[in-house]
Formats: sequence, C-alpha cells, structure tokens
Amino acid sequence: MRNAKEVADPTARDHATLSRMLADADTLCGTQDALMAGQYRFLRGRIAALLALATPVDSAESAP
Amino acid sequence: MSTHAQTSVGRDAADIPFMDSARLARLASLSRGELESLQLRKLRHQLARLHVSSGYYRRRMNAAGLAPDAIGSLDAFCKSFPLSSKADFLADQTEHAPFGDRLGISRSDVALVNMTGGTSGQGQEIYGRSQRDVHMQGYYHALPWFLAGLRPGDIAVNCVPSGGLTTGGWGPGEGLRIIGATAFHVGGTLSTDAKIDLMLRIGEVNFIYASTNYLHTLTEALLRRGLEPKRAFPTLRTLFIAAEGYPIEWAQRIETLWGCRLQEGYGSTQCAGFGASTCADGAITRAGGRGLMHMFEWETLFEVLHPTTLEPVASGETGELVVTNLAIEGSPVIRFRTGDSARFISYRDTAAGRAWNAIECGTVGRFDDMLKIRGNNVWPSAIDAAVFSYGEVAEYAGRVYTSADGKTEIEMRLALTDAAAAMEPAARERIIEAIRATIKERTNLWMVLTQCQRSELPEFSYKARRWKDERQQGYRL
Repeated sequence: MRNAKEVADPTARDHATLSRMLADADTLCGTQDALMAGQYRFLRGRIAALLALATPVDSAESAP
Repeated sequence: MSTHAQTSVGRDAADIPFMDSARLARLASLSRGELESLQLRKLRHQLARLHVSSGYYRRRMNAAGLAPDAIGSLDAFCKSFPLSSKADFLADQTEHAPFGDRLGISRSDVALVNMTGGTSGQGQEIYGRSQRDVHMQGYYHALPWFLAGLRPGDIAVNCVPSGGLTTGGWGPGEGLRIIGATAFHVGGTLSTDAKIDLMLRIGEVNFIYASTNYLHTLTEALLRRGLEPKRAFPTLRTLFIAAEGYPIEWAQRIETLWGCRLQEGYGSTQCAGFGASTCADGAITRAGGRGLMHMFEWETLFEVLHPTTLEPVASGETGELVVTNLAIEGSPVIRFRTGDSARFISYRDTAAGRAWNAIECGTVGRFDDMLKIRGNNVWPSAIDAAVFSYGEVAEYAGRVYTSADGKTEIEMRLALTDAAAAMEPAARERIIEAIRATIKERTNLWMVLTQCQRSELPEFSYKARRWKDERQQGYRL
C-alpha cells in the first residue's frame, strides 16, 4: 500500500519500494539452502546499493 | 541503434544527461551548502560504521580524539582526521593479513578482491569489496558514461583488459551491464586489427572506452588501413578515455578524425571507479582549451592539498588529490593520499552552473616520479632495484616515448662496469637479457635495452633523474 507522498513523489516511491525489497531480501538470506544462500546475498547486495543510490538527496537518512 | 540521437534533437548536449535523469538533475541543482550537508551526513554514517567495524580507523579516530557523531563539519573532519598513505595500508595488511584491519566488513562478506598493481616496489594494496560494493563500483563507471551519452541498448566497445585483480578490470563490465548497454569486451583479448575487424562487423558502435594511449593506437591502425574513423563508425557518439595525459592538439585531432566528442574520467582503485568526469562537456572546450572533470562529490569526498603544507590549494593551483569514500563499505579509504597531482578548479570557476568542484583534463600526473605506462603504475625506484641488482651495471637512462606508429615504447640505455664491458659479447648479451627479464618480472613491462658507454650517460650529483617521459611530444596524428 502506497502512501500519498509515495504516489506524488517518484523518488520517495522508488525508495520505499527498494526498502521493502531489501527487507524481503533479508528474509531470503535466512535460507538454509547453501546453493541459494550466495545468490540471495548477491541479490541483497544489489538492492542495498540501489537503495543507497535512490535515497532522496534531501533525506536525513542519506546513509551509504 | 538507440533512439537517443532522435530524442536529443533540439537539446543542448551538455544538458541532456540532466534532462534524462531526475536524480542527476537534483544533484546538479544542489547549492554548495546542500551538497556539503549531504556529504557530512554520509560521512558521519561511514565513520560511525567504521568505528564499530574497523580497528584501523577506530584507532585513528581514537588517537585524534574524534567521535563520529561529534564531527560538526567537513572542515573539522579535514583538519583533524589523520591522513593515510600506501605505506600505512601495507603495514596494516602485514599485521592483519590479507585485507588489513581497515576492511570494515566481515571477511566472509568479501565478494570481490581488487589489488593495486604492485609495481611501486613497495607492495600491493588489497581491497575487499562486498556484494553491495560490486554494484557501487559498476555505478562509478556507469555514472560518467551515462553523463557522456551512453544509454540502454547502445553498443559499447571496451578496449581495457577485463577481469584479473584490478578495479579497472571489473568495474567497466559491471558499469556497462548496469547501464544496459550491449558490451564487447575486446581489451586484452584481440589484436588491434582484430578489434577493428570486429567493430566493422558490428557496424553501429555508439561508445568506445580506452586508455589515452590505446585510443591513439586504435586511431593510427585505422588510418594505416585507409579507414577514416568517422566514416567507418558514423553512429559513434562518445570516445571515453582515462589514465594518461595528452596535448590539447591531439584531443582536437581525435575529435576531428572520429567526428564525435572526446570525454575523460579520473578514477582509481581508491575511488572504487571514476570519481570525476567531463560529463557531456568534452575534454577540450569549444574555445580550444582544456576541459574540466567534475567531481562526483556526493559519492567521494575530494580534497586537493598542497603536498608539503597539506593546506587546500586555491582554484587554479595544482595539488595532491586526497580521497574519502562516502559510500563504499569494504576497504573504504578515509583521507587517503593518492599521490596524484591535479589542477583544482573551484565550482565557482567552472561555468557549469553546478556546485561540483573540478580538476583539469589531460594534466593529472604524479607528485612522486611514478610513470603510468601501458596501464601499469611504474616507479623508477622499482626499475632501479631490478637493474642494480646486477653488479655488472654502472648506470642507465630510460625514456618513454610514442613511436611513429603510435605505440608507447620504453627504451633503456645501459652502461656496464669496465670489467663487465670487457667480457665476451655473448656473455654481455646474456646479462642484458637477464636484466630485461628481471625488469619485466618486477614491472610487468618489456623494455628495449641497448648497451652504451658510461660517458654517454649523465652523472647524478643529487637525486637521480634517470627517466624522461616524452609521450606528450609523440601524440601526433
């Protein structure tokens, strides 16, 4: 469910989407399947980087 | 072919990347105060993380009495955070092999290992990058190329050798994938003529990435075959170079021959890719002067310092680049002295309308006597160590130059001791070949060695200056 700010601001929308994806990737990284574990970490790394790159410039949370 | 050319009609080339990306437009619109606030927020986060995860940086912060969350300004950081050097990193790696205590992430999270060339004679810095960093390194290549006009679906030819242990071997591949370009990684795998044959078969090449010297070699080879680059590759929009300096006249001639803009980037392993680029403005200005490489300061904090006083240089002056990674988590550098010299241009003097500081194109060099030769960083001290490990050598002199066919050549004239000079020719030849092989082993470079009389070489009464770099004179097309 998107809030009004996300709908109005594409940057906020992308950031919120990636935040949710990162939480999902963290869940995937908890897998006990060793073959999938590295691939999920690969996916998580990509999402984490994109989250950093898509963080709104004016955000107080402009963390690496 | 991409539709970029069609959509660019009526738009100023320098403005296009900022019209095509809202995020870039926002970064371009930041005031200097806003940009520095962003840097400070990211810096505090980086330092807080490293205070917990990196013994090397925690010790430096504690020694300086710095608490990450108490750093009130960039100025306070730059005045109080201790500088690091290559020697500091090598000592750290020796004590905490292999990555050093500066790693900043769990060893098991290292997904890519990059090393510096090892040709300094001092040792190789080791960098352990996380999965997240692998993407960031790609982004630090994609960003300047996007700014230079590369777009999804474009055909790109990467002439820089791929893979191996260097950042430059991995970052371009990631960067081209991130952009969505169709990449041909021809560097190090095909001869120059084979590259040209392939490019002709591809036809619609939009982007070429190469070292300065290799672009020269490629251009020469095309001309030798009677091919005019701009007619052979009419869809080419961007030539992007890095790594070596060049005369303005050469850059002008390249643009004329290829019929497109020449763009340049400044990058390094310490920057985890490119830290600055010409954007879409070109390596030479419309008026014929040297262009500017605008720094991506929201990703990398740059200082340009006088190498002796360590005070910031004024706009227009040359200083040493000191870099701090704001967004790299594995083996980040914090106030690292690169040894690279660059002419600093304040954002106020760039006329670009952005708050990004800049450095001049085509003139990035070294404060020490390091030579960049065919993509290798070579210190004369390392060559000295190789040559003078043979007691038969009295003195030598070397020069790097651009040959008539556009290749970088290295010539060394050797004078043997009187006793060695009196040996049979075959014995002397064996010694010279052995020296040549030792130099190759230490520097990764083959050199042409010739024997001469001791009297033909200079006497050094103070600091030996055995090397001459004559490549700038050689870039003639």
